[in-house]
Amino acid sequence: MLVLVVVHGLTAVAAPVLVRWLGRQALYLCSLAPFAALGWGLAQTGRVDQGGAVTETYRWVDRLGLQIDLRLVTISWLMVLLVGGVGGLVLVYSVRYFPAGQDGLGRYAGVFVAFAGAMFGLVVSDNLLLLYVFWELTTVFSYLLIAQDPTRRSSRRSAMQALLVTTLGGLAMLGGFVLLGESAGTYRWSQIAEQPPSGPHLAAALTLVLLGALSKSAIFPFSFWLPAAMAAPTPVSAYLHAAAMVKAGVFLVALLGATVGGDQPWRPLLLTTGLITMLLGGWAALRQHDLKLLLAYGTVSQLGFLVAVFGGGTANSALAGAALLLAHALFKSTLFLVVGIIDVSTGTRDLRELTGLARRTPVLAVVAGLAAASMAGLPPFAGFVGKEAAFAAFLHGTGTADLVVLTVIAIGSTLTVAYTLRFLSGAFADKPGVPEVALREPATDWLVGPAILAVAGLGVGAAAAPLDTVLTPYSDTFPAVGSAYHLAVWHGFSGPLGLSVLVLLAGYALYRVGAPSGARLPFDGAAAYRRVMSGVDRLAVELTGATQRGSLPSYLGVILLVLVAGLGGILIGAVPWPENARAWDTSLQPVVGAGIVVAAVTAVRALRRLTAMILVGVSGYGVAVLFVLHGAPDLALTQFLVETATIAMMVLVLRRLPEKFSERPIRTSRVGRIALGVAVGVVAAAMTYVAVGGREAVPLSDAFPGEAVSFGGGKNIVNVILVDIRAWDTMGEISVLVVAATGVASLIFRRSAALARRRGVPVPADQPVTPGWLSAGAGGQSVILEVVTRLVFHTIVLFSIFLLFSGHNAPGGGFAGGLVAGLALAIRYLAGGPDELTAAAPVDAGWVLGAGLFVSVGTGVLAMFAGAQVLQSAVVDVHLPVLGEVHLVTSIFFDIGVYLVVVGLILDILRSLGAEIDRQGVPAP
Amino acid sequence: MTIKFPDIDYAAIAPLLIMFGVAALGVLVEAFVPKRARHLTQLVLALAGLVAALVVLVTQAETRVVTAGGAIAVDGPALFLQGSIIVLAIMAVLLIGERSLEKGGPFVAQAAITVGSEDDRRQAARADGATEVYPLATFAIFGMMLFVSANDLLTMFIALEVLSLPLYLMCALARRRRLVSQEAALKYFMLGAYASAFFLFGVALVYGFTASVQAAPGRMAGGVDFATIHAAATQSPANRALLFGGLAMIAIGLLFKAAAAPFHVWTPDVYQGAPTAVTGFMAACTKVAAFGALLRVLYVAFDGARWDFTPVLGAIAILTMLVGAVLSVTQTDLKRLLAYSSIANAGYLLVGVLAGVREGISSTMFYLVAYGFTVIAAFAVVTLVRDADGEATHLSRWAGLGRRSPVFAGVFTFILLAFAGIPLTSGFISKFAVFGAALDGGQTWLVIAGVITSMVLAFPYLRVVVMMWLSEPGESTPTIAVPGALTAAALVIGVAATLVLGVAPAPLLNLSDTAGQFIR
Repeated sequence: MLVLVVVHGLTAVAAPVLVRWLGRQALYLCSLAPFAALGWGLAQTGRVDQGGAVTETYRWVDRLGLQIDLRLVTISWLMVLLVGGVGGLVLVYSVRYFPAGQDGLGRYAGVFVAFAGAMFGLVVSDNLLLLYVFWELTTVFSYLLIAQDPTRRSSRRSAMQALLVTTLGGLAMLGGFVLLGESAGTYRWSQIAEQPPSGPHLAAALTLVLLGALSKSAIFPFSFWLPAAMAAPTPVSAYLHAAAMVKAGVFLVALLGATVGGDQPWRPLLLTTGLITMLLGGWAALRQHDLKLLLAYGTVSQLGFLVAVFGGGTANSALAGAALLLAHALFKSTLFLVVGIIDVSTGTRDLRELTGLARRTPVLAVVAGLAAASMAGLPPFAGFVGKEAAFAAFLHGTGTADLVVLTVIAIGSTLTVAYTLRFLSGAFADKPGVPEVALREPATDWLVGPAILAVAGLGVGAAAAPLDTVLTPYSDTFPAVGSAYHLAVWHGFSGPLGLSVLVLLAGYALYRVGAPSGARLPFDGAAAYRRVMSGVDRLAVELTGATQRGSLPSYLGVILLVLVAGLGGILIGAVPWPENARAWDTSLQPVVGAGIVVAAVTAVRALRRLTAMILVGVSGYGVAVLFVLHGAPDLALTQFLVETATIAMMVLVLRRLPEKFSERPIRTSRVGRIALGVAVGVVAAAMTYVAVGGREAVPLSDAFPGEAVSFGGGKNIVNVILVDIRAWDTMGEISVLVVAATGVASLIFRRSAALARRRGVPVPADQPVTPGWLSAGAGGQSVILEVVTRLVFHTIVLFSIFLLFSGHNAPGGGFAGGLVAGLALAIRYLAGGPDELTAAAPVDAGWVLGAGLFVSVGTGVLAMFAGAQVLQSAVVDVHLPVLGEVHLVTSIFFDIGVYLVVVGLILDILRSLGAEIDRQGVPAP
Repeated sequence: MTIKFPDIDYAAIAPLLIMFGVAALGVLVEAFVPKRARHLTQLVLALAGLVAALVVLVTQAETRVVTAGGAIAVDGPALFLQGSIIVLAIMAVLLIGERSLEKGGPFVAQAAITVGSEDDRRQAARADGATEVYPLATFAIFGMMLFVSANDLLTMFIALEVLSLPLYLMCALARRRRLVSQEAALKYFMLGAYASAFFLFGVALVYGFTASVQAAPGRMAGGVDFATIHAAATQSPANRALLFGGLAMIAIGLLFKAAAAPFHVWTPDVYQGAPTAVTGFMAACTKVAAFGALLRVLYVAFDGARWDFTPVLGAIAILTMLVGAVLSVTQTDLKRLLAYSSIANAGYLLVGVLAGVREGISSTMFYLVAYGFTVIAAFAVVTLVRDADGEATHLSRWAGLGRRSPVFAGVFTFILLAFAGIPLTSGFISKFAVFGAALDGGQTWLVIAGVITSMVLAFPYLRVVVMMWLSEPGESTPTIAVPGALTAAALVIGVAATLVLGVAPAPLLNLSDTAGQFIR
């Protein structure tokens, strides 16, 4: 069997090449592949007609249970014959259907054969996953076939519909298969069937599987895609929409029904949807003017019939279903092919325009008549045999449900008779007053395919008894209800026969009366489809609009909300909370805390950037005050200085930004932001509280005061931590500072030429600069500010150096000192502009940074050369003549490096964000 | 005081060292090689380094060791994921190195030049693209490889930063539409910084939780290595809020990188704005790294809290799948569509992660590789569809592409079918493997959500397919550029892998199965 699949595949690949060489005659060659399947199927008749099975197994993906298990049993044997036989004949027919030199014929041939191969694989698959693989392949190939003529808009839409509906159905089916397979432990259907599945998931699994099967077979409420797919070339319709693809769903129902037919919701679902489809389809067929559409709705109706009959779930109904399956494939593909011939020969398929074809193409009319007779259920055609069997199966049923089913089937069959007549008369009868359309006589060999299929329909009817023998092993797998029925043309005068006669008469009457025009179907699946589609579209658009606005704050808001919800939930679940906590030490602390909160909230409410920034600074100062209250003057000093320097630098940047955050009033969003901010703050604080309250070990820092003096030689613990205990960290941090400063500078000074300005080289002025106080200033600044600046500048710098050296034992240190010196430079810049800055610090900021880093690292390395640990401190106490006792710790050199780096950083920022931005902002004179 | 240096199994971490060395060398190349020769040097260096790392990695295939003082675990998943990262990165570097599609390549020459200025126009027209992108990429690759083998949370954090920071920069380097690119980079950076901060806060909380627990007798109490956390999860007397809070915040950091909802918001903007080659790199390699780390954290460290985190992460998985699937329906830009699809795929991956059984690990890893190949190939096609303004990513522009260049439209159709999970593509096998594992692990509800969302997700893909083949090409239909050798190579690798993993997935599945065992 695998060989046949491979043969199909190879043929499909070779088809485009063949078509290029041989033209459309190549389709004859291509048809050999499906015919090979037919021949093989016929050869296996002897092995399956006794209920045997032909199996093959190949390993594929063991871990997923995905194996190539192939198995031919009676029902799949029947499908193989149909798929192979009809496929081959349709290909032969296509030679004449397409004009010579048709574009894309090679593609058509390839895809067609590939589809036939996938269909063959589908019906012989025993592994559910493999079946799904072939199932989806048929979907994809059928899409390509329907889309054969891509220029037409309707063709596009219908291809989309067919593709979507069947793909989605297929995925649902996969879900069902997985549920079945995982609960059974195997995906081989033959093994699952031996131990029928049960359990809570079974109903869900079956529903999912049926979703797939029903959507593929165009059963209500999925019927709409089939008529729309009639945009496909007619041979494709004949194959896909009569014999093969739409039968895949029916086949699945037929295959699985033997095992799970008694489980909910199998039978009710199939009967209901099948019968509704039968009626709706038949009714719609009566109202069509396009012959092909008429057949399409007829097909929908017949598919509903088939599904309902297989859904009956008894041996007799299964037998009837199998017979009907065969009959329908034969007559419906014939009729499609006939319509194709009419279409090509006359240029129209509208039954209001066709007239007198019976006279002009008698052979065609006879072929169509034979097939139509089978469709209407005239004895001794195959259609009659099947329909009789169906009537009998439900007539001899037990419950009232069976009677309802029987009634609906009879009504549906009446509709079938009526639209059959409408088809025949519409296509072939003489219509007075209608001008005859031009007709090209169809070539004789074109008729061979349809003729064979039509005669086969007659032959099957005549050979009902042998057919019965072959099909009985299949129907025997279903539970027998009532006495076993056997297929035959003549059962004597019986209930089903009477019903058949009644149906024929009523159908004729209905045809004479005609369907009332303007009667719409009560429910249209297509409308639902459109509604669902536009609903999904709309939902997606609105969701996108709501969540994906491209705004960073809203993105961040989402993440923070989740954080609050998640951590908040965990915190609430964390009761009892730790209790060993004091609210505050001094009553000043809550006051300062409240101030911080107020400043923070006001900062969020601020409309101007500057205001907000200053308010953030205020809350920072508040934190510094808290440090003071906690007895940490050194930390507080650093915090104050950092806040100040930050404000100064931010102001430099804010100069170039719009004054306000937004021109629009943003009250509501601000309220939301404040709420979110407060929530995040509360949660983070609570989390910290829980974490700190959970402390069990002794804090490492308890040892610091002693260590600081004995090893670091200093009494300012913070400073000793920075330059000794955690000196490696500090080294990393100042390296980062250097890199950051360089990065800022390289963003602002973009070209090598501009780097001269970073170096602080005085720009050659037009006039000679007179040396003296305030000479470099650009003028126009406040004189008082300039004077005061000059007066305090050196004092401040001196103070910074004091801080640097005293830092080891008293508040201060390299970092704080550097910040102070930097602030001094900032004042010079504010007072006198870039030139004044250059005058104050005529050095390259890069040099300062580099020197700082060099000194710090050098200190560490020297310690190593001296035989100590890297960055280890040594304490030196010397007596100097003027200064007296000097207590020197080598880590002071490390601190000097820090000092230099900080000064360099601020200088760099002043030059880049300050001076250079000034220059770029002012258009060159 | 003497410092005892940890034992380091240099052979086991040789791939990492090679990547790090290559990245450092790349920086030196920037400094010392003449500008004209830089691009070729960098490209050859990066590719050679990746191949060398891969070769060394293969020789280490049997290694199972925790080394470098317990900081790095070299075990099955680590090796498998490192190998995947390397292979996918090779493809991405090929895309990054392509210069025949556009003069100077897809990257801007000088990122600092003001957008829209005269200089900018000049450099857009003539200048060769920045070659800094290679060291950035190799650093990121190094970070990713470290990320998946980190054996404690601090190493993991370092790796997270090492992989993230270069990515932020790379996003900003687009040659065209620079403002969009810079905005994307800024958003990615800001949100990424928050995510990293959360991660770090989480680490601190977990450290508090483990304070009194020893991983093994004689070990120091407390720590953020996975063995200690594992021991603490069952033994620690501390308040469990610390454990859950810590895990939640660590998970936020990781899920952000993995683009799971609701931490996915950056994804569409960044995917759209970043240069397409970089987007492909992120979509494939970052995903591998993020999920590799997530697997390790959840399976090795927090295994004991499985019953607590599974429902929460399960809800996130469902939300992710839903958001990705539903929102991709309405997208009109191909890169955004792929972004949402990547979000949805993060959801499917989460399903595999939450399976809680060994198959979950191996199928997730298989999924990562399969998806990576496909997604890079998809972005490779995106780079090819161009007009005078660069890439034409709006969906309407792709209408009728099938008529104009059937080969590429065919390739892209195949890729889309793989995304949709149609059989005989890797997309089907990987989805199936993940869902099967989740069913084995008893997560039926996740599988149901997964199936439903894949149905929804099939819709946008199929719509693109229909649009490409069934529309008439209009005047605005862009041309498909002839791919240079590099893009063609990446494309061929990606498509071939998608096909091979769909038809004959057994070798890789078995490999992922044998590799699917963590060590602690």
